[in-house]
Amino acid sequence: MSACPHCGEEIATGANFCEGCGAQLGDVSQEAAATLPRVNADVAVPVSTPTMRRTDPPDVVATPRPCSECGGVVSDDGYCDTCGAKAPSERDHFVEAPSDWVAGVCDRGRAHPRNEDAMALHCDAARAVLVVCDGVSSSQDSDVASLAGAKAARDVLRTPLPTGIGTDAARLAAVTKVLGEAAEAADKAIEANTAAESANPASATFTCAVVEVDGSSAIIWVANIGDSRSYWVPDAGDAHQLTVDDSGAQLQIAAGVSREVAENSADAHGITKWLGRDSPDIVPTVTKHGVDGPGWVVVCSDGLWNYASAASALAAQVHAHMPNPPGVIADALVAWANAEGGRDNITVALARVGANVVRKNDSLTPQEAHTNG
Amino acid sequence: MAEFQAAVYQNEFLPDGGTDVNAIVTLTCTGAGVAGQTGSGAAGEIIIIDNSGSMGVASMEAAKQAAQAAVAEIVDGTWFSVIAGNGAAFLAYPHVTAGPGMVQMSASTRAEATTAISQLQSGGGTAIGTWLDLAGQLFTSVPEVTQRHAILLTDGENNEPRAVLTAAIGRASGLFQCDCRGVGVEWKVSEIRRIAEALLGSVDIIPNPSEMAAQFQAMMRAAMSRGVSDAQLRVWAPQGAQVQFVRQVSPTVEDLTTRRTTVNDLTGDYPTGAWSDESRDYHVSVRLPARAVGQEQLAARVQLVINGQAAAQGLVKAKWSNDSELTTRIDQHVAHYTGQAELAQVIQEGLAAKAAGDEATATTKLGRAVALAAETGNHEATEKLKKVVDISNEKDGTVRLKKSVEKADEMALDTASTKTTRVKR
Repeated sequence: MSACPHCGEEIATGANFCEGCGAQLGDVSQEAAATLPRVNADVAVPVSTPTMRRTDPPDVVATPRPCSECGGVVSDDGYCDTCGAKAPSERDHFVEAPSDWVAGVCDRGRAHPRNEDAMALHCDAARAVLVVCDGVSSSQDSDVASLAGAKAARDVLRTPLPTGIGTDAARLAAVTKVLGEAAEAADKAIEANTAAESANPASATFTCAVVEVDGSSAIIWVANIGDSRSYWVPDAGDAHQLTVDDSGAQLQIAAGVSREVAENSADAHGITKWLGRDSPDIVPTVTKHGVDGPGWVVVCSDGLWNYASAASALAAQVHAHMPNPPGVIADALVAWANAEGGRDNITVALARVGANVVRKNDSLTPQEAHTNG
Repeated sequence: MAEFQAAVYQNEFLPDGGTDVNAIVTLTCTGAGVAGQTGSGAAGEIIIIDNSGSMGVASMEAAKQAAQAAVAEIVDGTWFSVIAGNGAAFLAYPHVTAGPGMVQMSASTRAEATTAISQLQSGGGTAIGTWLDLAGQLFTSVPEVTQRHAILLTDGENNEPRAVLTAAIGRASGLFQCDCRGVGVEWKVSEIRRIAEALLGSVDIIPNPSEMAAQFQAMMRAAMSRGVSDAQLRVWAPQGAQVQFVRQVSPTVEDLTTRRTTVNDLTGDYPTGAWSDESRDYHVSVRLPARAVGQEQLAARVQLVINGQAAAQGLVKAKWSNDSELTTRIDQHVAHYTGQAELAQVIQEGLAAKAAGDEATATTKLGRAVALAAETGNHEATEKLKKVVDISNEKDGTVRLKKSVEKADEMALDTASTKTTRVKR
């Protein structure tokens, strides 16, 4: 096995193309290349036509890790054979770190019995895809459905966004269409994981950021349904929330109520849009943001922003843990939200724009990633 | 093939700093089959009949008929023998002086045994220790017999020193199970209960000799339906935890806490004996080191183990929570059986106080018993208590001791004290 020079994905010996980004590999003759599907991240692809969709290999059944509390053997029933501690399930706490500049942590939190948040990340040479779905806890199966949804959206976005036909408006239209397709794929996956007879069908929020990095500047495409959020947190200067919630609180804010009052009101967390079988509208709000200078794109569920809603408050938490690789910062933010009470599931995904100060020892080991719990 | 199922009833939520976890584990067996015919070894039955001098003519005749009725219930192929016991134990059947002391049931051995029983005569004293010892020797004389069960009938107080009987009980414990019955009112409930509890059997009074045959028939029929020869209740508790008690709470209260045999540092086995198609409830209480609010852990793994294999498993959990609505709830099964276990205790203590002439204590204890029986819906206990006390307020447990009480009624209350009712679901 070797790594793709473009995106770092592992490559099977003798492969002509990278499974991750589709880049051509090694010396391929013109004749041979002509017979193979031509997919290349560096070449413009037709507007909104996915040229290659890849689904993840089946989730690997995790071998039982030793008990996180005492190091004992964890029994088949999920409890430590020595101290009885409940082993966190893979679903309750997981980490994705597709590269040294993109990582995320998805955690059950303290109060909820299961983790209905979901996260799916992808990255290639200069592009990161961060998808977060927050399963609505009043519905059945929403833990399974939200994860299926996040992965389905991520898989759509593995293909680079279309470049359009030249004008900004055309590109926005083309990207909007693709992000709409990603939301639609997530919606389909959520419905596919909803029991037919369910009176309370699974539903989830959807937020995704596609970050196209060019040196120390970037274009961030954001699509949103519900009240999970994306933020831009520059190393210096003011942070911004990139998404607008589809929520009761947001309706009040739009009507002139202060953010603080609105977010503490009774129906603040009622969402006005969502994905799932009973959703009236699955078209995401798509926005484009050009950023210049180093910083972090943060995509998170309300389990985090409940404790730091204002962009400046969230930025303060991110800055408090710099400099560090993204996985370490995500882990620290989850740990902080848990320390604040962990009242909801917590998901944090980060992508770096510009050089990260820390460029050594930045591959997370699973052990480090599980220090929180 | 026998199958077991486990169900756990508990409130797993503990308050901040809470340490004690209580759970009722219900184990249910189906498809038990017939004793000795499930491939796990042969079954052996020994009938032990008191033929001491105190057995009057009527009692002796009834005892013989009862033994014969029991013999009739023993399934063909089952190994069996009959012991006649007074100041010493005699092998009434089979007629052997060496080698295996049991024979297999068949038409001819059944006829021979019936005849042998009819020739028994009464005389001499009562040395129950010697009866148990002979039964043990007979069982071990046939190595293929692995499921060992005896029925013991007596009518009088044991003549042996307490320590002698205790030693004999010790030798019999784990070797065979024994259901005990007392006929008349001259025997001592506490003494016979000691034998039955140690040997995982039942104890009851047969006030009238005429009821003996039916009782023996029923006992033997029940024994023959126990197709699962031996099972242990295995309890695992985490490091640093303390198993406070393990008791069977249904169909009767039997404290198993001191019967623990160590499997490893964290695990112990408690004997449950043979199983038929039946359901039993166990109360397990564990004290844990407290964890932080929001944490969850396993407080106990409760398994039924047959031949070293877990046939069923129940998980007792602990979750620490700040929500007092969750943490203050008491599981109704735990509450019910906690009440029933106390009921058994106060009945026994009340009757002991009454026998010792301490009327004040007897009144308090039996009053409490009346209240508990009403609270937990144990109507059988209420009926039996009514024969010993006059109830003026059932709920408060205000009672007066009856002036004259039939001895048999008092003994019936005593023997039945450990019988529990199930939770209404």
